[in-house]
Amino acid sequence: MKQLILRTVLPIVLMLLILSEPVSVCAAEVPYDSYNYDYWNKVVFTPAAYVPDDSISGVSLGTTPFLNPQDIFVAQNGLVYLADTGNNRVLILSEDMKSIVKEIKEFDNQGTADTFNAPYGVCATADNELYIADSQNNRIVVLDLSVLLGETTASEETPELVKIIENPVSDVLEADYVFTPLKVTVDYAGRVYVVAQFMFQGVMVFEKNGQFTSFFGTIPVKISTIEKFWKKFKTKEQREKSLMYIATEYTGIDVDPSGFLYASYIDSAGIQAVMRLNPNGQDVIKKGQNANLGGDIWIDGMSEYSGPSRIIDVVYRDKGIYSLLDAKRGRIFTYDYEGNLLYIFGGIGTQEGTFVTPVAIEANENKILVLDSYRAEIISFTPSEYGTLINDAVGLRYDGDETLAVDKWNEVLKYNENLELANVGIGKAYLTTGEYKLAMKYLKLGMSRQYYSIAYKRYRNEFLKANLGYFMTGALVLIAAWFVFKGLRRKNRKAKGGRSYE
Amino acid sequence: MNKFFSAEKFKYTFYLLSHPLDGFYEIRHRDRGSVPIALIIVFLAGLTYTLNRIWAGFVVNDVNPRTVDLLSEMQGIFVVYFLFCVGNWSITCLMNGEGRLKDIIMAVGYSLLPMILCGLPAILLSRFIASDEEAFYYLIIFIGTAWTVIMMLLGIMTVHNYSLGKTLFTLFLTLIAILIIIFVFMMLSTLLDQVFMFIRSIYLELLFRG
Repeated sequence: MKQLILRTVLPIVLMLLILSEPVSVCAAEVPYDSYNYDYWNKVVFTPAAYVPDDSISGVSLGTTPFLNPQDIFVAQNGLVYLADTGNNRVLILSEDMKSIVKEIKEFDNQGTADTFNAPYGVCATADNELYIADSQNNRIVVLDLSVLLGETTASEETPELVKIIENPVSDVLEADYVFTPLKVTVDYAGRVYVVAQFMFQGVMVFEKNGQFTSFFGTIPVKISTIEKFWKKFKTKEQREKSLMYIATEYTGIDVDPSGFLYASYIDSAGIQAVMRLNPNGQDVIKKGQNANLGGDIWIDGMSEYSGPSRIIDVVYRDKGIYSLLDAKRGRIFTYDYEGNLLYIFGGIGTQEGTFVTPVAIEANENKILVLDSYRAEIISFTPSEYGTLINDAVGLRYDGDETLAVDKWNEVLKYNENLELANVGIGKAYLTTGEYKLAMKYLKLGMSRQYYSIAYKRYRNEFLKANLGYFMTGALVLIAAWFVFKGLRRKNRKAKGGRSYE
Repeated sequence: MNKFFSAEKFKYTFYLLSHPLDGFYEIRHRDRGSVPIALIIVFLAGLTYTLNRIWAGFVVNDVNPRTVDLLSEMQGIFVVYFLFCVGNWSITCLMNGEGRLKDIIMAVGYSLLPMILCGLPAILLSRFIASDEEAFYYLIIFIGTAWTVIMMLLGIMTVHNYSLGKTLFTLFLTLIAILIIIFVFMMLSTLLDQVFMFIRSIYLELLFRG
């Protein structure tokens, strides 16, 4: 019997022990990797900053399933607008996204009922004006929803039309230009920013009255020296056949409360995939320590998975934080207002919390919503303890309360002691309180040469001031010793009668 | 033993620092130098390089400490050193150079001394400077490098009894010689590898059939 136990049961138990999953340290198991890049652009895995908490589909809302939906928008009053492109409708979801407030399929266009054809982008203002990029009808429809949403009972009444923006006319546009709006957003002054198909000159800007004014923020075309070099050797025919170097289109836009436009695009170099455009159309985005705003650092290889990230949407969140959505690897990159990467999460897959074809990203208070067009679902993420702490700390820093942020950063370090941003945050706070030795320690961990240097200078000054007496005494003793030594040697030499050199 | 390591020979390395022309002449013709001392200097220069990578102050040091590896860096330095010496020797042999291989080894080895003499104080200094005082550190490093380059140039010139122009020309040819040597070695290793694979496959075949 004992033999039997030793021979069969024990190995089985051991096998089970070896094969069983190790106990996860992380509270929530997520179907994707959460990581960040350190100073040397190496991947450092972190606790999950966001965890999936819900997925909203047409079925869960009690309506027909979404068909190829392309855009979501969260209004200031919390309502969620969804462009259900394939079903030619716009849905307005309640704040908790559990029910449909309104389904807009048609509107009253000067007496006749008009419908949408592939509504691609939506945006709503604070006073309930809804902007719909009605792509295949080549127009932007602006509806007033205040009456509709004001009613308590759901009515079948159609929304009021405010205006239609179509057929932009300008010297800079070609005569046969077909306007196909894809993404639309509106700033506080009523200016309309539109990303249109095949429009490489930038974001199109319309005045409040629907007049096309200008292009905004052209994406620079980068030609490498090698390409320039080879071009010299090409014949005219070859040059005609080769690819044209044209700027890429913008993929997503969002406006922050102060009127700055965040616009994402696909950068083939993977270095910068988002711009923050000031009212003049200049890029004023801040870059972090590694000067990378392109999502993942280039992944080597020849597979579908390699190469730079394909950023297809951007959302401005709160306190200068913005997130980018990568369609290639299904990841969400979140940056603070200084361009530091805060956290990365998300992935491609079919599990809950992963995407197949992510197309749009939005923020609903502290949640992040991602629209997946293939799965026809909105996937909702809620911040974990770790993510909340980082958001709060960055928010406090954005408001200038760096000392208040220290407690948060210390908490963050308990979850992830490799986060350089947290170390820098703590180090800077010690710097202002005058504890230079500690400041140096944290700033060095955070790889901030600039602030480390300031801390070190002050520490050195303090040290020199405190020990000046010792230094002076030491110097005096040394000088005295040198004179004595010299005197002795001269005496010696005289006694020997001098030494001759060759 | 005395032939290689005498107090006089150790002192001579420092004499060389200030009198490169005379010094290298006497190395060539009066046997004042020592190959082991030259190798020790190369070793110490390699050590200084690694120490600089890992111990230089945070403000000037942008090296990931995880990538510092003394052994592989030392190997690299010695490989480059011997490649240069052999390359130079093989060229100057054909171009009326008077230097023997051991003279070249000594000339190049001894001229690395300023690297150590400037490198170590620079490491020490770098630990006490803040960000706008980096210039001092880089100045010391620059002096060490420039001194080494000048000494090496004069050393090779003197042991071969060349003019400056001819020295520069042979140095250029040395570079080409080094590339040829590397190429031959790579080809040799590939061929040997193929021979080995051939024998190995025959062995395996016999093993499977037998």
